[in-house]
Amino acid sequence: MNDSQPPALALRGLTKRFDAKVAVAGIDLVVPAGSFFGLLGPNGAGKTTTLSMVVGLLRPDAGTAWVLGHDVWSDPAEAKRRLGALPDGVRLFDRLSGPELLAYTGLLRGMDPATIDQRATELLDVLALRDAGRTLVIDYSAGMKKKIGLACALLHAPRLLVLDEPFEAVDPVSAALIRDILSRYVAGGGTVIFSSHVMEVVERLCSHVAILDQGTIKAVGTLDEVRGSRSLEEVFVEVVGGRTATGEELSWL
Amino acid sequence: MAVVTLGTFVRLKLRLLGNGLRGRPARVWLFVAGGLFALYLAGVGFLLFAVSGVGDPQVRLLVASYGGAALVLGSTLLPLVWFGIDDTLDPARFALLPLGRWRLVLGLFAAALLSVPSAALLLATTGLLVPVGRHGGAGAVAAQLVGLLAGLLLCVAAGRAVTSAFATMLRSRRVRDLAGVLLAALAALLGPAQLAIISATQNADLDQLTTAARVVGWTPLGAPYTIGIEVAEGRPVAALAKLAITGAAIAGLLWWWTRSLESAMVGAATAGPARADRPARGGPVSQLFPRLVPGLPATGFGAIVAREVRYWWRDAKRRANVISITVVGVLVPVIVTAGGGRITLDFDGEGFVASASPTMINVTVLFVGAFAAAMLANQFGFDGSSYAAHLIAGVPGGRELRARAIGHAILIVPVLVLVSVVAAAMLADPAVAPAAAGVVFAGYGAGVAVNTFVSVLAAYPLPETANPFATATGSGLAKSLLALVAMVAASIIAAPVLAIAAALGDAWPWLAVPIGAAYGAGAAALGCYLAGDVLDRRAPELLAAVTPSR
Repeated sequence: MNDSQPPALALRGLTKRFDAKVAVAGIDLVVPAGSFFGLLGPNGAGKTTTLSMVVGLLRPDAGTAWVLGHDVWSDPAEAKRRLGALPDGVRLFDRLSGPELLAYTGLLRGMDPATIDQRATELLDVLALRDAGRTLVIDYSAGMKKKIGLACALLHAPRLLVLDEPFEAVDPVSAALIRDILSRYVAGGGTVIFSSHVMEVVERLCSHVAILDQGTIKAVGTLDEVRGSRSLEEVFVEVVGGRTATGEELSWL
Repeated sequence: MAVVTLGTFVRLKLRLLGNGLRGRPARVWLFVAGGLFALYLAGVGFLLFAVSGVGDPQVRLLVASYGGAALVLGSTLLPLVWFGIDDTLDPARFALLPLGRWRLVLGLFAAALLSVPSAALLLATTGLLVPVGRHGGAGAVAAQLVGLLAGLLLCVAAGRAVTSAFATMLRSRRVRDLAGVLLAALAALLGPAQLAIISATQNADLDQLTTAARVVGWTPLGAPYTIGIEVAEGRPVAALAKLAITGAAIAGLLWWWTRSLESAMVGAATAGPARADRPARGGPVSQLFPRLVPGLPATGFGAIVAREVRYWWRDAKRRANVISITVVGVLVPVIVTAGGGRITLDFDGEGFVASASPTMINVTVLFVGAFAAAMLANQFGFDGSSYAAHLIAGVPGGRELRARAIGHAILIVPVLVLVSVVAAAMLADPAVAPAAAGVVFAGYGAGVAVNTFVSVLAAYPLPETANPFATATGSGLAKSLLALVAMVAASIIAAPVLAIAAALGDAWPWLAVPIGAAYGAGAAALGCYLAGDVLDRRAPELLAAVTPSR
């Protein structure tokens, strides 16, 4: 890899607090270009808050985020051009049908209509959304919504994909499909950072991992550096400090 | 196991209200402002009812009967157009609980009674106790107090039953068009009714009005508010009968509510049938653009316009707004004013009123134009968190606001043209059509300018419930106060057009459309340009403001 090339994503001192609660407490993170990066953390660790600040949805209290060398908050146009995002817990424009939503996203991105038509049709075919026809996205199943959201993020062929919980509520067949598409995207030179708490998926896909807990990075590095000789799940539970049941509780169950 | 009582629902509502305000100073202020506004309205109402005590018995009957009827009608129809209803307790949330239908309705009813508007309503109507007490003594006051409480129950039950029924109709793809037609028909009836009332008040003497008031007093509209008068005049049986009429009406409304409530509860789970019936034509881009609106450019700007046009119809919340505001807020005032203008003309003699009437029409259509733009005051709230897609794509603020304004104008301008034609037809004067059109365009453009600013600076989330009339907890009054201020501001901005119209006199109808359209378009463009700058600076804050908390 060329050393002069800027990282796909660089965060420095990123901080966000809500009222008294510190959601993200000064994160420094470098996502190398061409990596498949898994952001792990328990519920409430600050994964969604961090990724929202990266894609420009949530203004950080302090710190900076660079996408391929462009500051998301001072040079948003250049950063957003290189970025595709699938936020979690955010509605799509769901009173459009799948093809309409893709066309809409493409036009917002300033793409040429012929390119949109060609790519959108291809994406709908690959993601098995063609049969939905004119069904509005609001009537899609949860897995279909994830897939059309991913298609929207991919449409303008970004160099960095930021995905928040892309495998949540997705059935195994669709999950395998999404994994294939993302692997091919990374093989083609793209960079993916996604959040998850499914160890198995992260272990299978990722080249790099970071474990986030209570708003700070507890462990970061390549997959092998982080897990060593143990399983990722063991490392995760140890780092996060989970508890194990003694067998005494819940005796009424 | 604890029994679910009415108190459970009331406590639940208070707790939700309290939690919604806790730690959010802006909402507390909004709530307080809404409360003060309500207190002011209640005070005015109280005085109006109370001063009828100095009049003779006929005046007292007129005020109690017509005033009460106006309150009941107002609390039935206003939620459809202006206030919406407080949906703190969303029926869909109770769908999985083992609660009987009637227990649920009574619980929701009890919780609905506990609100700022109902407190204001009760306070205003206590003014009726003053004349009753002065002329009837303690017994009559006690009877009237029961009547007031029954009247409050009636008002709240009517508002809930009607919004719930219309929500059900607007949600269903099969009958939603019927709901619009029904509303339009209701509104159209107001025109002839208004004519009848005006000619009655102007031609009839006090005796005829009193007879009509007596009749209204025996309908559910006036019955609860005339109970005290019956007791004061020594007819306790009549008072009891009126109480029974009110009680029957309340029971009937609650029964009606239970019918639509069940559909509201399952509505959340089954969003509706898929639309896979017709095959799509063309590629994705051509599917996005509605064929009814040709000529939109295939750019980001054109795409937002196209989506806005589709959304005003596809989104139940927006559709409910479009239908009810168009019918009740736009067509009705024109019908009423035009109808009233003609009668005044016949009654007062031609010379004076014939020259005053066009001015009155102009002022009315100016307000109508400003009111039509009030739909935009929370345009980002309608979209909720889906606005995030625009942030991720980095849509410039000015382009965003211009596209939204044009999308709305594509739907509304034809209605405004219709308004001008209707006004001309009612006055039987073809020159009124272009004259009114010029003013209404100016009013609409000014309204777009003001409400675009409001939508960027004072956006609020709409609850994601199945009821398109639902507003967020406890803030409905303050929001409607803000909308009122915006409307007045828009009217002031557009007022110079009225001066131009007056200055041009007979030449105005010829120049009205170009002048009014240019004025309105200029105001709207300036508003979008300035507000676009603000939007560019605080787009993430706007997204946070319209995202419903879960």
